[in-house]
Amino acid sequence: MSDARQPLQDLFADLLDGESPRVRRVHVVLSEKAPRRGALLITDAEGRQWCWPVDTLRALADQAGKEGLILHQAGASPERLVISNPDMAGRLRALFPHLGKRQPVRHMWRLLGWGIGAVGAVFLIIMVLIPLLANQLAALLPPDAEKALGDATLEQITIGLDRSGVNPIRSCTQEKGLAALARMQARLVEGMDLPYPVQVHVLDHSMVNAFALPGGHVVFFRGLINEAETPEEVAAVFAHELGHVAHRDPARIALRTAGSVGVLGLLFGDFAGGTVVLFLTERLVQASYTREAEALADAFAHDILIRSRVSPAALATMFERLRARYGDAEGIVAHFANHPALVERIWAARSAARNAGVETEPILDAAAWADLKGICAPLAGLSNILERFKPGAEDGG
Amino acid sequence: MSASEIRTEYTGGKWNLFRLALKTSLLTLLTLGFYRFWMKTRLRRWFWSAIRPGGMPLEYTGDAIEKLLGFLMAVVVLAFYIGVVNLILVFLSFTFLHDNLAAYAASFIGVIPLLFFARYRARRYILARTRWRGIRFGLEPAAWAYSLYAMGQWLLTFLTLGYLYPRQVFNLEKFRTDRTFYGSARLHQGGSWRMLRGAGFWHMYAAAWSVAVLVALVHLEYLPERGLLWLFPAGMWFLFGFLWFRVHALRSMANHKSAGEVALIAAPRMPRVLGIYLLGYTLAYLLLFLFALAVVLAGLFGAVWLFEVNPHDLVTWQQRVPTWVQMSAYIFLYFSIFILWSVLHQVFVVLPLHRHYAQTLTIRNPLALSSIRQRARDHAEEAGGFAEALDLGAAI
Repeated sequence: MSDARQPLQDLFADLLDGESPRVRRVHVVLSEKAPRRGALLITDAEGRQWCWPVDTLRALADQAGKEGLILHQAGASPERLVISNPDMAGRLRALFPHLGKRQPVRHMWRLLGWGIGAVGAVFLIIMVLIPLLANQLAALLPPDAEKALGDATLEQITIGLDRSGVNPIRSCTQEKGLAALARMQARLVEGMDLPYPVQVHVLDHSMVNAFALPGGHVVFFRGLINEAETPEEVAAVFAHELGHVAHRDPARIALRTAGSVGVLGLLFGDFAGGTVVLFLTERLVQASYTREAEALADAFAHDILIRSRVSPAALATMFERLRARYGDAEGIVAHFANHPALVERIWAARSAARNAGVETEPILDAAAWADLKGICAPLAGLSNILERFKPGAEDGG
Repeated sequence: MSASEIRTEYTGGKWNLFRLALKTSLLTLLTLGFYRFWMKTRLRRWFWSAIRPGGMPLEYTGDAIEKLLGFLMAVVVLAFYIGVVNLILVFLSFTFLHDNLAAYAASFIGVIPLLFFARYRARRYILARTRWRGIRFGLEPAAWAYSLYAMGQWLLTFLTLGYLYPRQVFNLEKFRTDRTFYGSARLHQGGSWRMLRGAGFWHMYAAAWSVAVLVALVHLEYLPERGLLWLFPAGMWFLFGFLWFRVHALRSMANHKSAGEVALIAAPRMPRVLGIYLLGYTLAYLLLFLFALAVVLAGLFGAVWLFEVNPHDLVTWQQRVPTWVQMSAYIFLYFSIFILWSVLHQVFVVLPLHRHYAQTLTIRNPLALSSIRQRARDHAEEAGGFAEALDLGAAI
């Protein structure tokens, strides 16, 4: 026991009194006498004394100079005892293992209040205020402004998908495929009254998905075209997306994203600049509309499919295919697939088909359908050229 | 060293800092950024305690919880501003200009007063939480006044095409210094802005003009496009001039700072600072590159050994790896490089810079310190939260 106290016999240190910048040379002993038992008695050259109970002793953490030790008392007192002798510092550490104990958290209730308040406020802004504002403003957006918004968003998405680092995403531009898609589009939009032309794009990605952007952009992923067994299924999805376009759903989402992305960037701080871009892309591609918006887009699709002499049942077939593949489950799957009311929507499409009793007419012939399937064929340009040199393919001259 | 001067020591080991920085960065990553308030606090404690004027370390008494609180306060205000105001700006910009550039510009201009405000408040917080010899520093509350003043100074610099930039730098530093306290003693920034117009400034100024002229000539097609290749040396020249200007400004302004009878003598040397930057960045990039290389090689060897992939089939094998595995690997690599970069930057650039600036700093007439008394604790409640939220507080 006396060994343990030994080092404190001739401990000299510097004391900062927290009142003036004076550095006092002090002598420190561990007191054993009754009233001050278990306390550090600190005395300076002028005889002024400080008494620090051992259990209140703490050491400053994360100090650069490992050899020394700076002691203080738990709480907010500005007094400091600076021990520069490495031996002494080491022995004190061994003698008082509680030196590294943390200060209790102060202002716990205020912290909690502010925490809940801040999270609540941000939640309100993102979930209520911004969507509300976005819905109002989307309705006021003039058509050419909406188109400009769509163009900018499409650019952001291509950049965003590119940045995700997996594979740069190529836009599929196989000529014949585009021609087939254009033919499908012409049938569907016939008689439709949109303030801007519909522009359709196919991106070379295996995701089974399609989405609409403001200003008449409809984007398919190659995965969806591959998955479809008939051109009618593609047309049905196309019609559904046109429904979103006509109802300006994408404009709402885009405006909402413009508002909420900044806020999220703020929350995640400097730590993840890239995440915001990824999030933006994710949000727009996996745009989840409300149940009502989906139902309205479906109803719109049924109408224009019937008018284009395509059975709305194709939409049901496509949904069933997705359900078989992904189930009703949540997850990173196409937004068609993770919609909870998929069964309901399949049923709605079937009953629309039954009620209308459509006289159908194939939307694409077999050759055009093959072209559409090959819209993302690798080296499409090359195969076009090669085709010309095939025997019997030179009739056109 | 005479009795009328005390020198500054620096005691901070690279390895020591490396471990602390790496540990706290990893914790920040694991907590999705939440730990960054603790990381910042702990690193500041470390950096402060390494600087020892007269052998007595600076102490940083900031608290991670108060930083978190300040950040939350700032987020509520900014979430409203950035969310709602940006949304309206985007709408207006598309409606009237069919483009979102105007919205970005307007939104940025709208944030500018807040940037200066945040910067002043962050400085006030840091000074309020810095002690030397047990005495607190402090900065008078004047954040909005500073914001207005700073915008005026920038406007003048802008209108004089950069000629008055040294004046702006000096005046802003004077604004802050004259409101800074060490205990009961108010600091004073003496000298004039003209002392900042050294060779460094003229290099920087000439380089900036060469860049402008070069771009104009190419734009007007007096020079071919490949003339833009000259941007690289011109940019380097600018960086060189800028660094020189910064070192010179820091030194000459520090040499004219005083608190009553106590004054500072600073003698940082430009060649040394330049050397630290060059060596530091080279080392940091080199180690980063080696790390990335090691990860890639580990991935390849892992594939060969663990999954017994034929080395010739690696490319096709890689395509069969599920997307989410690939994504996770990329995300892991992205964040680890991000973290390692900030750690290496602190170890090889920030630390040597601090060391040089500290070791060349002398306090003259320290006996006059004895008349100084403690100042009351400044609550500085927002604790640099705006700067944190606006990403201005990234530096230690």
